[in-house]
Amino acid sequence: MTATNSGSKALDRGRWITSTCGMCLHGCGIRVLVVDGVASTIEGDPTNPDNLGKLCPKGNSGIARLYDSSRVLRPLKRTNPNKGPGEDPKWVEIGWDEAYEIVTRELGKIHMTDPRKLLCAFGDFQRIVLWGWPAAFGSPNFFTSLGNYCGGSYHPVNGSVDGSFASINDYKYCNYWIQIGSGDGFSSHLHLSGSAKRMADARMRGMKLVSIDPRCSVAGAKADEWIPIVPGTDRAFVLGMAHVLVHELGIYDREFLRDRTNAPYLVGPDGLFYRDDDGRAQVWDLQAKAPRPWNEVPAENVALEGAFPVNGWSVSTGFQVWKDLLADHTPERMSEVTTVPAATIRRIAQEFVEAAKIGSSIEIEGQTYPFRPAALNYYRGSQSHANGLFDNMTYKLFNMLVGNIDVPGGHLGVPLDHRGFFISPGEDGMLKPEPHQLHPPPPFKYPPDSTHLMEFFPIGFDAGQLNTETILEPERFGLNYRPEALLMYHSNPVWNLPETDKVEKILRQMKFIVAIDIQHTESTRWADVFLPARTYLESTLLNCLEAPVVTGHSMRQPVVNPIGDTKDAYEILTDLAEHLGFLEVWNSVLNLVCGFTAKPQYLLDAAKHYSVEEFWDCYARSVYGEERNLTWFKEHGHAVRYRNAQETYQPYGKLRMPFYFEFVKRTGAELRRKLAAANVTNWPFDNYQPLPFWKPSPVIEDGKRGYDFYAITYKESLHTFADTVVLSWLTEVSEKDPVHQGILINGATARNLGIATGDRIRLTSPAGSIEGAAVCVESIHPQVLAVGNATSREFVSNPRVQMKGSPFNRLLTGSLQYSDGATGGLESTARVRVTKVRAGGTENQSVSRSEAPNRS
Amino acid sequence: MPRLGMVIDLKRCIGCNACVLACKQENGTPPGIHFARVITREVGTYPQSKRTFLPVLCNHCDDAPCVKACPTGASYTRPDGIVLVDNDLCIGCRACAVACPYMNRHYVAPGLLQAGYDGKPLSPYEALKYLDFQEGTTSKCTLCAHRIDRGLEPACVVTCPTDARIFGDLEDQNSRPRKLIEERKGWTLLPESNTKPSVYYLDA
Repeated sequence: MTATNSGSKALDRGRWITSTCGMCLHGCGIRVLVVDGVASTIEGDPTNPDNLGKLCPKGNSGIARLYDSSRVLRPLKRTNPNKGPGEDPKWVEIGWDEAYEIVTRELGKIHMTDPRKLLCAFGDFQRIVLWGWPAAFGSPNFFTSLGNYCGGSYHPVNGSVDGSFASINDYKYCNYWIQIGSGDGFSSHLHLSGSAKRMADARMRGMKLVSIDPRCSVAGAKADEWIPIVPGTDRAFVLGMAHVLVHELGIYDREFLRDRTNAPYLVGPDGLFYRDDDGRAQVWDLQAKAPRPWNEVPAENVALEGAFPVNGWSVSTGFQVWKDLLADHTPERMSEVTTVPAATIRRIAQEFVEAAKIGSSIEIEGQTYPFRPAALNYYRGSQSHANGLFDNMTYKLFNMLVGNIDVPGGHLGVPLDHRGFFISPGEDGMLKPEPHQLHPPPPFKYPPDSTHLMEFFPIGFDAGQLNTETILEPERFGLNYRPEALLMYHSNPVWNLPETDKVEKILRQMKFIVAIDIQHTESTRWADVFLPARTYLESTLLNCLEAPVVTGHSMRQPVVNPIGDTKDAYEILTDLAEHLGFLEVWNSVLNLVCGFTAKPQYLLDAAKHYSVEEFWDCYARSVYGEERNLTWFKEHGHAVRYRNAQETYQPYGKLRMPFYFEFVKRTGAELRRKLAAANVTNWPFDNYQPLPFWKPSPVIEDGKRGYDFYAITYKESLHTFADTVVLSWLTEVSEKDPVHQGILINGATARNLGIATGDRIRLTSPAGSIEGAAVCVESIHPQVLAVGNATSREFVSNPRVQMKGSPFNRLLTGSLQYSDGATGGLESTARVRVTKVRAGGTENQSVSRSEAPNRS
Repeated sequence: MPRLGMVIDLKRCIGCNACVLACKQENGTPPGIHFARVITREVGTYPQSKRTFLPVLCNHCDDAPCVKACPTGASYTRPDGIVLVDNDLCIGCRACAVACPYMNRHYVAPGLLQAGYDGKPLSPYEALKYLDFQEGTTSKCTLCAHRIDRGLEPACVVTCPTDARIFGDLEDQNSRPRKLIEERKGWTLLPESNTKPSVYYLDA
């Protein structure tokens, strides 16, 4: 025989089926070679412009997920009433009828009495349209992080600036890219495979890349320059650069700020816009030397800067207010905060503003746009902090200084889905801010209904970490009921929420827990019933989520017969709605979420139980018309196409974006009034500010309590943060890479502490402690210890996978104090003490793999 | 005569390991065997330190020491330059593994094919793929000869997110890999071994 039999056989006899990847949330296009009913190979779908036939290592491991021997293949019932991390649930297999009967009986009691008593943890982003199930049940509660680590402050600010959900720099035209706390184009975030290709192409054409990161991430490794920084101080670095532009160089895009933002609007001493009797925001008319309505002064006469006397007050333009705030944010002062040399802050600022080519323009698809080929891209690490609102505002404002928002070469909004940017006119010629995109803004209510206090976050994200504080101290926030049950759907709150001990304490209070998932996790171990869902290679949906340069849905379809006795998650949730007697409400929620209400011909009949295919067929037709029904998608695989220039660049036309976030200040004041009326006075209103500045976070302050070091997490391409760790295909590779072998610590720091690679060390934060093997590396800031995405799980269903036992989230504090009071974003960095538990390595042990052949 | 090979552009490569896993799933190699690997290193000291990534695979050498070392003729070079092993002739002596300076020969130990990953019974996928392996013989990267023979590129090339792997005929003056080797002064691993690899690298 030769070594190519099975591959030849598969290629000769197999059939390629087009589908959508499900190994992370984004959903690249794939095609699967199936031979005799067996999935043989998965490739990127070469016809899909999103990922251009490419796949990341996770996407290349989908077959391991499908045939994973530790999958749950039949409904399970717990027989051990004792619950806890060390308890074997003693599962027994049961039929679907019995499983549904138990769940219906237990949840039915709550549904009939007080449905708020059900906690829900939903985590399947590709089925985001199903996230309305808790609302249909009658529960407002999301008992999970729900992406808050990444997006808590990020999404609200993107939505407020230009109606986008995420953002990215322009791969095609950017010439100077500052990457700050993000894996875009290298290891994580938006559609990795296609983004990696676009980033590589940009670097090859000469784009300069500067990476700011406490750890030399992959971006840092490939950057022209890696600048290490203290975690949580990225904003200070950028504020220092803003100081250089505004106060030292005096170079910024005055026209953009004056004409495309509210920067020239006059701000009164109360911090609100100075308005005339008709409520119109005013600008200073340089010719008339008087305030005039914003839309009645020719652009060239509008003052961008300055303070002016009006009715005995001094009013300043919004730009001037920030300029004044920046006056003491000198590179020297910001250097003390960040440890980045002042000269570096100055140099990068200068290089950036020069590369931005302020004043230049470019013609694309017959239209002339401003051309600003320099942009700062940021994500998780640089803004998931207790002052995350300020972080995000700072990065947007810094980009605005060179006028690069949504123009070629610059910093571009990425829409949530096929609907594109959320654009509608707001006040004073502005875009209407859209801080909430996943659901309508929750109205204020006291006492609150939700355990994560959504009613108190008018511009915030769903702050899952607040569940623990609210549920364990309900009287503090006026919660007037006690949750009794938990439904988890592909979500792992025990692992993904901070302060694991508190989460487990809550789980002990639950009278009933049901899990819908494909495998066991830290959380499903607590369940009473496990309802097994199908993997992405056995199920059906249409997906379109956070794609940087494309739009349109790709279809996921079963490529093999389902293994075991499992069901599509849509079916499970719809079955439960029917059994619990709220199918009509469920269908009406789907009508709303899917946009069918706006197209009445597609409205679901309230009383009908739609099959998964009927449902997605209706969805397909509602978006694309009768021609492109589900049968069309099965044949063609996807309707993905590049977004054109009109959809990408300034799709909102002349509507202005906020430079001065007046609505944030107003919203805070309004919330203060409402909470005061309810006698709640201890709420953190501090971050409802119209402009960002430097102030230390609680984490920085923890340093004064003897927590000398910082602990951070990071993500590299082999794993998501969660469920790929179960797959031996991926872990046998990640286990060989030093960055996945333990807790990273700077070599010099380790020597000072008497720690060598392989030693067991303990990190202790104010919230808790974790242990792991020390891995001494050079490419990390001396004050930082880092825990990777392959080492943070405590329990996975595959016994072969050696858990490193470094569950990072135990170090985080999930309280309001460590959250952004305005957005609900949580603090994802911890201050820690480091101690050596026991020796395990040798002082000079190299972390590089020794089998590397040398070049010569 | 054609000489099939590959150029790996280390400037494009981001060390993501997509090639490693694409190879794994295309060839269904048993646990612990990777025809494609990425060697990661750290160079320099803080703050001038950097991480580097070097993807490796069989070099399909023009003067292959593994072929010369093979006592039975199981290891052979196809006319297009691909180095293969005929499992039926291989006696598992592992002379090839010793001879290969790049550590790209992999011995399929007795018992390795009796269970799938995690020691569980073979999955339908493993049952299909393991037909290509024989316990007690040596296996290696085939450059995805089965794909090449059907007009497709190797799996690691197709999947590479950054287009860092460029496949083609190194003898063809106009091929993309040949041109890149000339334009960017491509180099090979361990040139002192005089193996004449068909895998070239371009500087990061």
